[in-house]
Amino acid sequence: MRIVIAEDAVVLRDGLCLLLSSRGHDVAAAVGDGDTLAEAVAEHRPDVAVVDVRMPPTHTDEGLRAAIGIRRDHPGLGVLVFSQYIETRYAAQLLADGARGVGYLLKERVADIKDFLAALDRIAAGQTVLDPEVVTQIMGASRRAEALGALTPREREVLAMMAQGRSNSAIAEALFLSYGSVEKHVTQIFTKLGLGPSDSDHRRVLAVLRFLQA
Amino acid sequence: MGKPKRAGRELAYVLTLPLTAAAGLVYLLIVAMGVLSSASGIGLPLLALCVPGARGLGAANRRLAGLAGVRVAKPAPLRLPAGLFNRLGTALGDAAGWRAIIHSLVRVPAAVLAFAAAAGLWGFGVILLACPLWWQAALFPALTPGGWPGALLASVIGLVLLLAAPAGVHLALGPERMLARTLLGPAPAAARIRTLEETRALAVDDAAAALRRVERDLHDGTAARLVTLAMSLDMVREELAEAGPSPRLDRARALLEGAHHTAKETLAELTDLIRGIHPAALDNGLEIALTTLAARSPLTVALDADLPERPSPAVETIAFFCTAELLANVAKHSGARRAEVELRARDGRLRLRVSDDGAGGAAISPHTDTPTGTGTGLRGLADRVRVVDGTLGLHSPPGGPTVVTVDLPLRA
Repeated sequence: MRIVIAEDAVVLRDGLCLLLSSRGHDVAAAVGDGDTLAEAVAEHRPDVAVVDVRMPPTHTDEGLRAAIGIRRDHPGLGVLVFSQYIETRYAAQLLADGARGVGYLLKERVADIKDFLAALDRIAAGQTVLDPEVVTQIMGASRRAEALGALTPREREVLAMMAQGRSNSAIAEALFLSYGSVEKHVTQIFTKLGLGPSDSDHRRVLAVLRFLQA
Repeated sequence: MGKPKRAGRELAYVLTLPLTAAAGLVYLLIVAMGVLSSASGIGLPLLALCVPGARGLGAANRRLAGLAGVRVAKPAPLRLPAGLFNRLGTALGDAAGWRAIIHSLVRVPAAVLAFAAAAGLWGFGVILLACPLWWQAALFPALTPGGWPGALLASVIGLVLLLAAPAGVHLALGPERMLARTLLGPAPAAARIRTLEETRALAVDDAAAALRRVERDLHDGTAARLVTLAMSLDMVREELAEAGPSPRLDRARALLEGAHHTAKETLAELTDLIRGIHPAALDNGLEIALTTLAARSPLTVALDADLPERPSPAVETIAFFCTAELLANVAKHSGARRAEVELRARDGRLRLRVSDDGAGGAAISPHTDTPTGTGTGLRGLADRVRVVDGTLGLHSPPGGPTVVTVDLPLRA
């Protein structure tokens, strides 16, 4: 797939370029700040943009703002935001316009390249990939919310894993359940959240969104 | 400053002296009345108004003293505490007010001296210089220089007086200047406190800025390199996985596995360390950083922040670490299930309130050498808050609930 990278630390940017091109991806551009990212995305029309939250000039959240901007300007573009820290507020801002094709991962997840590359594939396919840390924080923030009150603890667990972008079989493996019972839980979640039968991928995204907004 | 300009300004200053000296004496009279009647109790409120009120007199004199070439720093503003009696006491003991009152008393001889010098030199100078005119016009029939030589001599003397006038008046203003300098500025101890406050604020801001720099260097340099290193190790691992079986390759794989694991652990430790030095989200405001803090807490934390004005970075850092420590305390010791964090910026103060529904009974321990338990944690927080003149209040009856309030200035 075609990828644009925005990361200001040169050593990591070069490392990412090397990794992605060695896996057959086309790194169309690798830039170091938000403005150049917007230009590069407009020029190269990538499938996915990989964006660091902290970049010059202020080193606070310009990557996040750039990511929100390019998502708005280029619907269908996948965006993977990564950062040394997960901030609950940033996650909420990033997902405010929908969770299709969005990822928010801790930087250290890059160190496990198999997971990282799989996350990129899922984002390119329009799914949502959230760091377990994001899920923990959002779960914390929504503990008092009533919206998810109807779900059983097990169903919440399954939903949290869906938010991390895992497939049913991956969830089954992680929770030591059979594939069939995971499917049953997922259907229960859809029903309890009032999501009617339609494109199942789309329903997954909606369920995750409902989960995040709770 | 040119000499003629200085002479003009000093003359102007001297001309205001009768007015300011008289105003000072009238004020003294009122103060004296206050002192005399204070025995009966009526005078005390009068005096409590008069003493801080003398600051106005002092301020006027201080500004006028600028004409005489004296630059005096403003005394520190009067800070009135809460409560009527406290206010009364503070107002009565206001050093800057009393010093202004003393100034208006002891400046009288100095003002007389300066005024006499100016009148003698400038006044007589002009009169003598103009002697031929008024003699010829016979304005003062009683006074006569007795002929042209006398009139011209008087003129010359007048000229000499006028030439000497700028230096003479400047000299005669010496005591006035000295008194203004010593009595109208901040008292020596107050000036020292002011310097200490300013340098302390600088030190606090400096320390906060230094920590931010360290954090940024670690984040942009060391952490980025470690991520890259761990990523490269994983890539090597995948490369080796493709290679065929061999005992040596197996050993290399095991070593590599360990190295990759260590790199990731180091990175996680470094990340925690960096967060402890300075949470990056603080740069974007206290509320964003606290939202994450609340969400990461094992308790249900309701955060309610209203910050129309942004505190200085050092104060934000203190408020953040206070909240972190207090929430950790709640989670560890109180047995509470919920906590509330309330943050308000009002009237130049930042108020933080952390309450929980736990068992209560917390106390701030006195200073000890062996730090154990919650008390010393709270002691440490109170000390940290004191660095910027903040206060920490604890209300924790046995059975709960516990409420901790932290009051900080918006600017250190």
